[in-house]
Amino acid sequence: MSLFFIVALPFFGALLPGLMNAAGRSATAGVTFTVTLAAFIGLLTNLPAILAGDVVMARVDWMPALGLNFTLMLDSLGFFFALLILGIGLLIIAYARQYLSSKDHMGEFFTYLLLFQGAMVGIVLSDNILLLLIFWELTSLSSFLLIGYWKHLPEGRQGARMALTVTGMGGLAMIGGMLILGQIVGSYDLSVILQNRELIQADPLYVPALILILLGCFTKSAQFPFHFWLPHAMAAPTPVSAYLHSATMVKAGIFLMARMWPVLSGTPEWFVIVTSAGLITMVLGAVIALFKHDLKALLAFSTVSHLGLITMLLGTGTAFGAMAAVFHILNHATFKAALFMSAGIIDHEAHTRDIRRLGGLRTLMPITFMIVSLAALSMAGIPLLNGFLSKEMMLEEANHTVLFNSPWLVPVLATFGSLFSAAYCFRLIGHVFFGPVRDDYPAKPHDPGAGLWLPPALLIIPVVVIGVAPFVAEPFVKLVTASVLGSAAEMPSAHLKIWHGLVPALYMSIIAVVGGLVMLAIFTPALRIWENTPRPEAKVIFETIVEAAAKLAQALILPLHNGAFSRYAAVGTITIVVAGYYAWTTGTIGAPTHALQPADPVLISGWGMLVAATIGMVFLHRNRFLSLILIGIVGLMVSIGFVFLSAPDLAMTQFTVEVVTIILMLLALNFLPNRTPIESSVLRRVRDVGVAAAGGLASFALAYHYMLRDPVASSISEFHLANSYKGGGGTNVVNVILVDFRGFDTFGEIIVLSIAALLIYALTETLLGGPVGAKLLNRRPDQPRAGDMHPMMMVVLTRGMMPVVMMVGFYIFLSGHNEPGGGFIAGLIVSIGMVMQYMASGFSWASARLKYPYHGVIGAGVLVAGFTGIGSWFVDKPFLTSDFTYVRIPPFEKFELATAALFDVGVFLSVVGAVMLSLESFSRLARRADAPQVLHPMDIDPSREDLKEGV
Amino acid sequence: MSWYLTLPLVIPFVASIIAYLLRSSPLGAWVSIIGSGLGLIASIALMVVVLDAGVIAGQMGNWPAPFGITLVADLLSAVMVLITAITGFAVAIYALGDITERQAKLGYHALFQILLAGVTGAFLTGDLFNLYVWFEVMLIASFGLLILNGGKEQIDGGVKYVALNLISTILFLTGIGLLYGMTGTLNFADLALKVEEVENQGLLTVVAMMFMVAFGVKAAVFPLFFWLPAAYHTPSFAVSAVFAGLLTKVGVYALIRMFTMVFDHDIGFTHTVLLWVACFTMVIGVLGAAAQSDFRKILSFHIISQIGYMILGLALMTPLALVGAVFYLVHHIIVKANLFLIAGIAKRLTGGTEVYQIGGLYKSAPFLAILFLIPAFSLAGFPPLSGFWAKYIIVKATLDLEMWFVAFIALAVGLMTIYSMTKIWAEAFWKPHPEGIEPELKTLPNKAAQLIPVAGLAVLTIIIGLNPEPFVVFAERTTAQLLDPSPYIAAVLGETP
Repeated sequence: MSLFFIVALPFFGALLPGLMNAAGRSATAGVTFTVTLAAFIGLLTNLPAILAGDVVMARVDWMPALGLNFTLMLDSLGFFFALLILGIGLLIIAYARQYLSSKDHMGEFFTYLLLFQGAMVGIVLSDNILLLLIFWELTSLSSFLLIGYWKHLPEGRQGARMALTVTGMGGLAMIGGMLILGQIVGSYDLSVILQNRELIQADPLYVPALILILLGCFTKSAQFPFHFWLPHAMAAPTPVSAYLHSATMVKAGIFLMARMWPVLSGTPEWFVIVTSAGLITMVLGAVIALFKHDLKALLAFSTVSHLGLITMLLGTGTAFGAMAAVFHILNHATFKAALFMSAGIIDHEAHTRDIRRLGGLRTLMPITFMIVSLAALSMAGIPLLNGFLSKEMMLEEANHTVLFNSPWLVPVLATFGSLFSAAYCFRLIGHVFFGPVRDDYPAKPHDPGAGLWLPPALLIIPVVVIGVAPFVAEPFVKLVTASVLGSAAEMPSAHLKIWHGLVPALYMSIIAVVGGLVMLAIFTPALRIWENTPRPEAKVIFETIVEAAAKLAQALILPLHNGAFSRYAAVGTITIVVAGYYAWTTGTIGAPTHALQPADPVLISGWGMLVAATIGMVFLHRNRFLSLILIGIVGLMVSIGFVFLSAPDLAMTQFTVEVVTIILMLLALNFLPNRTPIESSVLRRVRDVGVAAAGGLASFALAYHYMLRDPVASSISEFHLANSYKGGGGTNVVNVILVDFRGFDTFGEIIVLSIAALLIYALTETLLGGPVGAKLLNRRPDQPRAGDMHPMMMVVLTRGMMPVVMMVGFYIFLSGHNEPGGGFIAGLIVSIGMVMQYMASGFSWASARLKYPYHGVIGAGVLVAGFTGIGSWFVDKPFLTSDFTYVRIPPFEKFELATAALFDVGVFLSVVGAVMLSLESFSRLARRADAPQVLHPMDIDPSREDLKEGV
Repeated sequence: MSWYLTLPLVIPFVASIIAYLLRSSPLGAWVSIIGSGLGLIASIALMVVVLDAGVIAGQMGNWPAPFGITLVADLLSAVMVLITAITGFAVAIYALGDITERQAKLGYHALFQILLAGVTGAFLTGDLFNLYVWFEVMLIASFGLLILNGGKEQIDGGVKYVALNLISTILFLTGIGLLYGMTGTLNFADLALKVEEVENQGLLTVVAMMFMVAFGVKAAVFPLFFWLPAAYHTPSFAVSAVFAGLLTKVGVYALIRMFTMVFDHDIGFTHTVLLWVACFTMVIGVLGAAAQSDFRKILSFHIISQIGYMILGLALMTPLALVGAVFYLVHHIIVKANLFLIAGIAKRLTGGTEVYQIGGLYKSAPFLAILFLIPAFSLAGFPPLSGFWAKYIIVKATLDLEMWFVAFIALAVGLMTIYSMTKIWAEAFWKPHPEGIEPELKTLPNKAAQLIPVAGLAVLTIIIGLNPEPFVVFAERTTAQLLDPSPYIAAVLGETP
């Protein structure tokens, strides 16, 4: 079967159990089993090619742009791992069918399991290292879901997150490592990379690449100091633990080290890092395992220890070490999966996994006893079982390994680790199955149905067969070893056999087994010592680091982000001043191209007023009314400035805008306290003054320097001047720019203005509907109201002025294209006229005389402007293309009709509508007569002082 | 040609006016949906044309560039317009189930369409001042959406948002004035040519910094990001989704546009600054997220952190890095908008957004859980989802330049992102609800309206993830245009001068 199918089957198959959950538990498990079986058989069809020493390849281009292709490769190493993954997978599926209770969602479980399985198969079959990375990350993700499968358990959630964080870190490191590796070789294909040992090892980037890749391997394979996640992942249901932690996930790191062995191993860096990490992990794991009371925790740490053993063997960099590693991978997968499943059986039947509450199960669960004993004895390294053989080879290899110039360091530690390994195996058998039968088991234990015990029992067959007749496994082990070695080393001549003669390894083995028995004998005092020994708890350290990071984040973020606006503004100002200054110092700045103009005394006096008003504003800003007046002065001075600089249009606009805004702000002021309270300390105000001054001076300096230098080319405004009449039909360039050259900008701006008005309306609506509405209803003005609400003089005057103002507006609008003026200014002027009516005669009077709702006026304005723009499409011209013509209707003079004028009508209408709508909204706050529709349940403001006194 | 350019803008304007007129009727929401749908069709049409022609330009008012205003669509603009339309369409549908009658009455749908128009306009314009106008349109519309029918919290957030953005606006305007003073032009293409003639490079760099800060505020980069977390967690979820997806990206887009086309005179300085900004932004954002426990606040800080990656792509300025930035932009908009939409559904079901106080979603709403898993792990950069490729390309670009430390930061930030996403996942989804609530999807008032857009965006993430090749090839073409603007300039100014 094509390799694609083998990889794809579990992924596509993963959909089935999720969808079939309703079909029943057996059907769900059955379909999962079938999918896996199909992949398994597909794998086996490739066996002849593998046995012939061929490498099966398959390739599809996926992302050639990034050097990533879907290239798969099956050699004996990949085949070996795939066989373990799918073969043990089949047993696990059968086991899980029985193990999961009816409360567990089975479809979900098997979906995750198949996803995980597919990802694992993908890892071992990948030829492209980037593809391998993808599958690698997918195992992290799917194992996260599997480990957290019992999501109601906090330990499950924590364990899953920890596993994902640690393996995710490794995965990210590996992305870096693989990219560097690919960069060195110039290809991401393993088949190419594996041929380039010398090139890689000679590259200066070899060490970083090695470290990053090893980070990935070590985190995945739970090597010290990343071993701590694995025991916490035991919160998962037992089938998950059995699958992930015997044959698959944790073996991924081992697989990758084996895969990369030909090109990465053999250097001092590889040797020191990998061997010592493996050695430490082996010893540490074994020691901790002995003192764990939870069966699964014991097995977890024993897994950690055995992974260390394999890592160490790969680290030595010799061919014999590699062969021993391969052999132990096979052996460990068999006995460890059997042990995990048995632990699950015990948990399932006795409802506890605590060794202290067990004991005496030998007679109650004889089948389980048999399975566990054989598997555990194999793990302890007892002859005639497979564990013995590979452990012997490990000790033999350890004996030849010189680490840190010490010939005894590795052998002693290896023996020490083996001793504890033997001890926990003996404890597992002794404390669980031997001893008196108890009467306080949480549930009455007995052997389960065959569905549960058969899968582990099947795994015991290879344990015994290989143990008794190692030559059965030898061809296969050598075949796989050949793949690991590649062209980097010769196949070792040694054979797998039980009796090697009286070699040091045998003595070490004997020491370990005997020592293990002694350890079990003195277990109780040893445990006491262990419990009283203070030791760093990796999980605590991990959590401390995570918490410290979160604390650091909080310490960094929260004070910065405390909601004080002045602080944000200060940061922004400082940033731009510093960045600007820094930029200023980097580049060349030529000499000024022209001199400073002499200052006119009139100008200086105007400038002086502007500055005085601004500074006065800073000092008087607590008095809101006074500040408003000062703002008015500033605006006026700016308008005068425009006049002086010969920009009458701007001056008119600025002036009318000033009038309207001041009126609107006065209305708003009516509802605010007279004075702004003091909110910041003196120190803060000093800081703010400093920041503001820096910003101001910087802008000044910048403007000063720019004004002394000419632009590099004539500006586009010269085109505007030249074409205003010719192309735009108007002599007032400013207006032609607004409605024609850059009418598109104006279109955007009238929308902004309209939205602003609609927002003011929406905000007042919201306010009046909320608690503020009640407050307003009960509001007592802080100053007595004038007896004469609508002074006669003012009413008469404003009504008389209304037609005049309208005429002026009309005139300014019409003349706009050629003289100062235009729709925007006209709109403001007309609005002022109408505002006067509101002010003088009152809101109700004025609005009663208004026929059109302001919303509609705004909408009409935007529509007119918009359709003027769209209109040009009908003559196949771009948006907003204008046209004009001259007409003569006697007795009038010849005059011009321009589509731009229509656009200006739109501007005019939206300005009038926007201003009036804002005004209407403000005044609604003030109207008490027709009370607004209050959505807030309360019409009384309880915080009103005099009401309280009345009670 | 100009049809293709103006339609994506005119449609939302017209839709907004109609929606406003119908604001009191349930039809208003449908106008918004139809408008967004038509806008989507128009953007697809634009994309098709641009894919074929490379760059198209339209002169508004038929004034030749650089004297009038030019709308230009190169591949970057076209893809941004398209992704805006996609997000807009999704959120418009989602709004059916999220926006209250009262918000609609106050003009929600009209403001939403205006916002889309503003964003689209910013992507399409080829004129600096016109870009400013679109920024204004966006700002006012987004302010409106923030405070619409809001309480104290919303108004507080909204006012800060506006005030800080106004600082950026003032800087932007000043920068435009100064740049115009130096070059006498506002048109991007013309600027690109004129800037080369400027002798006072130091002054030019100062202006460049002003633009960097102005756009940096919009993009919420370090140290100018304050407004974002202050405001994004307050409005309704549909609003925050479109903000999260689109608004900051306009700033990123503007930075990319200006700092590839106009301000490339002193890359050694400007892009080094950007590099620092990028690193700090990535780190501070992700740390900020780690410090939060509110669904939306976590997501908000992650926007900042992810913006860092995009800026990083720009800062490195190699073809691959820019490919990464473009890819990241597109991926991020889809994913982030979707996460906010999901947060909205989660809040409706569980009654809160504080992750430690909610839970149980996995069990009672497994479909939502799957829908969350996809964008969340895409954001965290897991394959085979879109985020993996985005991160992968950026990291590869840094490694190609042998910037080890930068690569380390990019990867470490990725790890912290995983941490935050699993926090939400473990607390809001896996953990049983502390009050025992078992929130089911069928309790949603308008289930289809809320789930269809979420599912659609999730599918898009998967499509990009599983078949990234065409997207990468597209990003490569885009990058080629960015690094060699001559076709852009030729399209805008007519014959190359």
